[in-house]
Amino acid sequence: MIALEGTTARHQLTGAKTAGFDMEVLVGYILLIGVLLSMALIAIGVVWRWLSTGQLGIAYSISGMNLFDFVLTDIRQMFSGGFRPRLFVNMGIAVLMLTPYVRVFASMLYFAFVERNRKYTLFTAFVFSVLTYSLFLR
Amino acid sequence: MSFELLFLISVVAGFIGAMSGMGGGVVLIPALTLMGMDIKHAIAISIVSVIATSSGSASAYVRDHITNLKVAMFLEMFTILGALVGAAITVASAQRPLFIVFGLVLLGSWAALFLQRHEGWTPVAHQDAFSKWLQLEGKYYDQAAGETIEYRGARAYFGGPLMFGAGLIAGLLGIGAGAVKVLIHDLVMGLPPKVSTTTSNLIIGITALAGASVYLAAGLIDPGLAAPVILGILVGAFIGTRLLVRLTNQKVRHFFLVVLAILGIEMILRGIGVIQ
Repeated sequence: MIALEGTTARHQLTGAKTAGFDMEVLVGYILLIGVLLSMALIAIGVVWRWLSTGQLGIAYSISGMNLFDFVLTDIRQMFSGGFRPRLFVNMGIAVLMLTPYVRVFASMLYFAFVERNRKYTLFTAFVFSVLTYSLFLR
Repeated sequence: MSFELLFLISVVAGFIGAMSGMGGGVVLIPALTLMGMDIKHAIAISIVSVIATSSGSASAYVRDHITNLKVAMFLEMFTILGALVGAAITVASAQRPLFIVFGLVLLGSWAALFLQRHEGWTPVAHQDAFSKWLQLEGKYYDQAAGETIEYRGARAYFGGPLMFGAGLIAGLLGIGAGAVKVLIHDLVMGLPPKVSTTTSNLIIGITALAGASVYLAAGLIDPGLAAPVILGILVGAFIGTRLLVRLTNQKVRHFFLVVLAILGIEMILRGIGVIQ
């Protein structure tokens, strides 16, 4: 938590009071868990493929899909029991792309509800909206 | 291109990227194109791997409270817009100009890194009103010096728009463009070197995501090819970072920088058509 010099007493107070809630630690863990989970999913996909076919490579491409289509397709496959190496690789890539996105979302909530910093809530909301828009691109 | 080959190339790229401090993309993209991959696909895959390496290393720095989240948030507003524009240009562009721009940017950020001197950081004496309004200040505990260092950022009105350019380069070429970002933090905004490198790491992840979204929509991200690259780059970067802690020898770093300079020249020559 950055205790800012010259900010209002309120910030100082929240800075001290939120000692139990450390935003930087949370952001750090979001990033760490995201990357590790993504690596694990991709590795599972690759190893499974290798065990079942003796080949490591999975050749396929996806076209004209945005991240949300991509995630939805993965989830649908998951529920229809379509567990295949490919699904794990796809999920790994989706998790990787969602990692920074979730980080920004968490920062937005933090600035809005914990630090109650309107300026930075707006900045973060802007970044989040632009990213959401771009992830919906097709 | 086989999985094993892609994986190996990526391990080497991640390793050299971490050792030289330039990131994996600058080795990965020339290497993939040398193996016959279309440069646009190479850029698209590289930018996804950039999300992985930057998020991985940022996670540790953020938890150590060195990264400045406010500086990152403010500058990300500019870099993501730059990345979207840059990636859109690449999707629409011909192949050859991309080789030339890639080579030029590689040589440029190479020079910036090579000439960089880290001995002196002078704290900002007078913080301008805009940077003050943005609350661009902070402090961190410096383990080497054993003291808490307080700092203020300045000239955010300059730093912001310049970061649009850094984002543009990142989106255009599928690299982190960390050297450019660190330069802006150091020289324009007057942040301490540690804060500037770690904050730039955090910004790189979001910027790469914005770029990656455009490449995904354009159908340039091939999960089958991305899988070995993501795994390989992360493994290589992990080994590189571990070694870097032990090898403080500047010569090692300079050796890798020479490798990167050669790659830069090679890309330009291929772009002009001198070599195939």
